[in-house]
Amino acid sequence: MSVLAILLLAPLVSALLIFLINILFPYAKQYLYTFFALMGSGVSGLLALYVGYYSYFEKEVFISHLFTWLSIGNFSIEVALKADALGSFMLLFVAPVSFLIHIYATGYMDKDKSYGRFFAYFNLFIFFMFLLVLADNPIIMFIGWEGVGLTSYALIGFYFKDIQNTYAGNKAFIVNRIGDFGFLSALMLLFLEIPSGGFSFSNIFLNLAQMEPSSLTLIAFLLFVGAMGKSAQIPLFVWLPDAMAGPTPVSALIHAATMVTAGVYMVARFAPLYNMTPEISLIISYVGALSALLAALIATRQYDIKKILAYSTMSQLGFMFMALGAGAYSTALFHMFTHAFFKALLFMAAGAIIVAYHHKQDIRELRGIQLPKIFKMMAIASLTIVAIPPFSAFFSKDAIMGALFVNGHVGIFMMAFVTSMLTAYYMSRMMFVLFFSKSKQEAMESPKSMLFPMMLLAILSVFAGFLNFPEVFGGNMHISHWLGLPDRAVLIPHAKELALMGINTFFVLLVIYNAYRKYAYTETIVTQHNDGLVANKFYIDALYQRFIVAPIAIISHFFEKWVSQFLIDNAINWSAFGYFKLGEIVAKAENGNVRLYALYMLFGVVFGFVYLYWSLRGAL
Amino acid sequence: MLKAYMILSILLFSIGIVGLISRRNIIVIYMSIELLLNAVNLSLIAISADLAESSAQVMSLIIIAIAASEAALFMSLFVVLFRNRASLDANLFNILGGKK
Amino acid sequence: MQNEILFTVLALIAIVSSIVMISAHRPIDSALSFIVTLISIAALFGLLNASFLFVVQIIIYAGAILSLILFIIMFLNIKDENLPDEKYKNRWLLATSVIVAPFSAILIDLILRSDIATNSVPSESFGGIKDVGLMLFSKWILPFELVSILLLVALVGAVTLSKRSE
Repeated sequence: MSVLAILLLAPLVSALLIFLINILFPYAKQYLYTFFALMGSGVSGLLALYVGYYSYFEKEVFISHLFTWLSIGNFSIEVALKADALGSFMLLFVAPVSFLIHIYATGYMDKDKSYGRFFAYFNLFIFFMFLLVLADNPIIMFIGWEGVGLTSYALIGFYFKDIQNTYAGNKAFIVNRIGDFGFLSALMLLFLEIPSGGFSFSNIFLNLAQMEPSSLTLIAFLLFVGAMGKSAQIPLFVWLPDAMAGPTPVSALIHAATMVTAGVYMVARFAPLYNMTPEISLIISYVGALSALLAALIATRQYDIKKILAYSTMSQLGFMFMALGAGAYSTALFHMFTHAFFKALLFMAAGAIIVAYHHKQDIRELRGIQLPKIFKMMAIASLTIVAIPPFSAFFSKDAIMGALFVNGHVGIFMMAFVTSMLTAYYMSRMMFVLFFSKSKQEAMESPKSMLFPMMLLAILSVFAGFLNFPEVFGGNMHISHWLGLPDRAVLIPHAKELALMGINTFFVLLVIYNAYRKYAYTETIVTQHNDGLVANKFYIDALYQRFIVAPIAIISHFFEKWVSQFLIDNAINWSAFGYFKLGEIVAKAENGNVRLYALYMLFGVVFGFVYLYWSLRGAL
Repeated sequence: MLKAYMILSILLFSIGIVGLISRRNIIVIYMSIELLLNAVNLSLIAISADLAESSAQVMSLIIIAIAASEAALFMSLFVVLFRNRASLDANLFNILGGKK
Repeated sequence: MQNEILFTVLALIAIVSSIVMISAHRPIDSALSFIVTLISIAALFGLLNASFLFVVQIIIYAGAILSLILFIIMFLNIKDENLPDEKYKNRWLLATSVIVAPFSAILIDLILRSDIATNSVPSESFGGIKDVGLMLFSKWILPFELVSILLLVALVGAVTLSKRSE
């Protein structure tokens, strides 16, 4: 078995084992689950580091051909895994961060009734995530794509006893269906367009030039619709805030580091396609910019600590899409890399707070919390997300800003700029309300199993930026060179880059100071009025409810009542009843009375005689 | 002359079938069966006489022997059935149709 | 000519008595009219020079089997309430006759159309006990032995059936 196959199958095997133990031995000890869960994710985490190491230093491309799925003529679909630079890079942060979140979750979910089920889903989720990342063709990628959707549905609605959680899971699943519809349609179009060979990415990109430009555009757009759904962009973002209903490790895993980044990864994977369709790239940029701005605006008026983080995730994903649309693929991926660390850290810290304060999530109730360790980590993560030098996101975000600046679309750049100011605002608002307050709330510190992964992530969020040290500071952009993606972005002149960084940092600090004045040691957060457009999330949920959900519900009710129940059910019931009655009538013939049997036989004999006589009448 | 015998045999056979199917009295049913056998015997003997061949006579002799053994069984059946049901109605003996 | 007259009379007797047999309400009436049928058929055998079969028919059928039936009818002491209630007996008979009619009609039609009669002249000893016996114990020895086994089985079966279960 090759490295990739083990890496892929380890979480699946442990998920299955946990499922089996959970079903067969309902009273199994908790450490058994812990052992298998950490084994599965740990093995793949280590192997991911190994793969990353060889890919980075030896430029090795790992390929693992498992089996041929379909072979029709000269067209074949292989179940093959491939870790090229992009794939290894994704693995490099997805697998270790998943492992850390597993460790964290053992602390967070400690003594939970559904401990086993949780880790079974968790491992199953990372299996599908690896499948998505390692897929060598879009079909396998789609399987992983659907798989993460399914398991995220299960994890969001994990505490299914509260119906609201189930609704949130449904919402995530259904909204993602719309995106998946786009993905699937794009795959069908690709299937029609590909002249021969296979469905592998390399073959698709080889044949791109021969395809119809209009259908290429359509394919690119439909793929992006898929990405919109998975990565929570306008207009398919409404599921992400509601998805916070799941346990916090779920948010840390799914809504920070892995699943929501799938859309970004997919667009980067199809970079050659998007390079040929500049108009779609522009759409991507605008959608990303609008999503980032909208999410950041909404985040400034949210009170639920996890929802703030959810909107912030959406906003950061918007940044990544802006960069993708501008053709700065490796920059977008680098931001995704740093984002995985600091956002996972933020979610974990939020989870630690939530656990420490008995599942309170409203920042107004959590004012003045006393958790020094958590405070340090959260401060690091917040400074990272608002892009203070030299924290990692400073490099990644400023690379994006530079790329947008060079790309020449002023509107997008301005939106990005405003968004990064708003990011600073809502993050510092949250921090100041939580930790800088006159009131004091004591609580127990989190267990080591939760603190340890957070510390590692804190270190990573500080230093990860140096991996792609910009040239202006004498770095050489290791990661961008390693990835070798077909970036379109023109390099920004060094003077302008420095100026941008300076301006950006200055304004961010200004915003933070303002937020400090407004929220630290004041009661503003409580007294502040909370209505209007922004506080109500621009009424987008209400709009969807009114103009999409309600009409569909009316149509569904119609079909359910009249077509399904009245027409189809009645038809089936009546035909079944008819057969029943017919059977009763026919059964009278078989009543055990031998005389009647003789009569039937006589009928047969007479019929046979008459028939023979009639058909042989000419011969006689 | 053979044709007349054959026609008589056919008529007797048909009467036997009618009795076999339309009557409910098991004794009459039994006698109808015997009538069928006799009709066949009659045609066999007629053919044997016409062909001057005695094989058919042996055949009908064997048929008569079979009819005798059948008679023995039927008689004991009548006794058993009548003892159990106190009736000669063939419609009562319908357990072939399964449980009702 | 004499043969034709005899045949016609006997045939009429056989048909009428068999019709009476199947339509009589009481089994005793059926049995008695069936004896008439059997004897007329035996007479037809005689008419066909089958003297041995004539004797066998009289002795075994009309003698043994029918007296057995009569004996059983007496033995069971069948009263009217033991007889099946055959309200629609005549309708049944009529309906079944209608069904059987095409069957007989076709067969009779086929017999009439065919040319089966050879009218070979039988020898003097034809149909006698010697003729039949020779045939039975030479060519038909195996069926004869089989019939003996069948009779044995029937005997055992009859005893087993009519034995009262404890």
